Amino acid sequence: MVSGGAAADRQGSRQVLTLNSITQVFDKRGDKLTALSDVSMKVDRGEFVSLVGPSGCGKSTLLKIVGGLLAPTLGSVYLEGERITEPRAEIGLMFQTSTLFAWRNVLRNISLPLEITGSSEFDWQERIAEVIDLVQLNGFEHHYPRELSGGMQQRVALCRLLVSDPHLMLLDEPFGSLDEFTRERLNTELARITELQNKTTVFVTHNIPESVFLSDRVAVMGTTPGRILDMVQVDLPRPRVPATRGRPEYNATVNRIREILGLN
Amino acid sequence: MATDAIPDITSTDAEGRSGRQDPLRAHPVWVQILLTTAVVLLGCLIWEFLSLLDPPGWPEIILSRPTEIFPAFFRAVTSGFVWANFWVTIQETLIGFALGAGGGFLLGMGVSLSPYFRKGFYPLIVLFQSTPRVALAPVFIAWFAFGMTAKVALSATICFFPVLVNTITGLALVDENAGLLMKSLRANRWQTFRHLRLPSAIPTIFAGLKAALTFALIGAIVGELSATNEGAGHLIEAASFQFRMHDVFAYLMMLALFGLVLFLLAGWLERRLIFWQVDIDRPA
Repeated sequence: MVSGGAAADRQGSRQVLTLNSITQVFDKRGDKLTALSDVSMKVDRGEFVSLVGPSGCGKSTLLKIVGGLLAPTLGSVYLEGERITEPRAEIGLMFQTSTLFAWRNVLRNISLPLEITGSSEFDWQERIAEVIDLVQLNGFEHHYPRELSGGMQQRVALCRLLVSDPHLMLLDEPFGSLDEFTRERLNTELARITELQNKTTVFVTHNIPESVFLSDRVAVMGTTPGRILDMVQVDLPRPRVPATRGRPEYNATVNRIREILGLN
Repeated sequence: MATDAIPDITSTDAEGRSGRQDPLRAHPVWVQILLTTAVVLLGCLIWEFLSLLDPPGWPEIILSRPTEIFPAFFRAVTSGFVWANFWVTIQETLIGFALGAGGGFLLGMGVSLSPYFRKGFYPLIVLFQSTPRVALAPVFIAWFAFGMTAKVALSATICFFPVLVNTITGLALVDENAGLLMKSLRANRWQTFRHLRLPSAIPTIFAGLKAALTFALIGAIVGELSATNEGAGHLIEAASFQFRMHDVFAYLMMLALFGLVLFLLAGWLERRLIFWQVDIDRPA
């Protein structure tokens, strides 16, 4: 494996996620709009893959399809060998807006997935305390969302995602509305958490440096129709830490992606 | 504001939300009280002065004047007879509100949850909503005669619609991503309703309830003005026929205070029920 020892250990032999020739056509008042054309991809266990591209490249649509929230016009998605046709408990989603429930405090926002699924797999309180520790929200358990900054809200949303221990995390520009400083800090946190928990992650963003910092591989996407232009391997050692951003390979990979997108 | 009290460990972007500065807030409460009192006093002075002028075609007996109205007001609030009549109005208002608002909420839920309900009722709702409901007063009086029932019915009809419409609107307004989240958690219809749709609709529904509370009082009074032998509306009607304008204004003041009490109660309840929204409707 090119990515070196750490990444190779993180990637088990089994593929967790397989996308077979996904095509999505939207019918807008008779006009056919091809949002995605023949997208295929495989993601290994514990791997972090980003979908990067300009607006309209269908990356969010692709994420919805993987999450079972949208049925593709053509093609299929397999998670751990089973075809995805509807939302599944093994998949956790996170959006650009925190979508926290304003009428629930932090603790009760985090427990929402457990309440909905009525999960009896683990001790709720123990599990919640664990993820709060992991995401470093200690001391904020009884605050309401409006009392939190945007960055803190996204931390809570991340906690809510982690609490049900999903096998696959789908993140749709989760830090897109945050300022640059907060974004970098949360990226470092996210890298630490996904490395620690060995989570398989698909991450949507239009921020190239962010995708390089976090990912094992970056799927570079183009528009009209939405498709994968190239799959870029990120040869950066793990763990990813702030200093990772200073490495020459980091900038080289960012530039490589910029070239594929025709930005250079 | 609570936002300021919380140490922000990740971000500096909390500022944007506390923005909006109300210039009146910069002053202490007594400035507010002083200014309002000044406006009231000035208004009373002008009124008193006008009535002393006794303009032609607009005699004092019609115009009345503050120096007569305030004594009349204190006579009214100490009169058991007046209170008995206001008690009738208060009952009509509250019962009318409970029936109308309750009915509006239930039908709104039905329309929002069942497509059949929606198809059956929605066109009728739109039709009736644009009909001035006070015009139904004669109908209810014909049906229920002069007793309290006619006023309760009118009151209920008037406050039915704002609650109905706001319930439908509120339940339809759900954050798209929050909906996707519930879907991804495989929440069933009832869970999505209970945990997401209903709570996010409550502020809108409550706005409807507040409007309805005022409407309920209007309904009761209009009913009493139309035909009756009891209630605040009847007192006003009778006093006005006998050219006791100072009494009319005294009763109006009592009604205004009653309306204010209702409004404050609703605001108090709102702050407790919808605690997650800051500054729901502070005066702009």
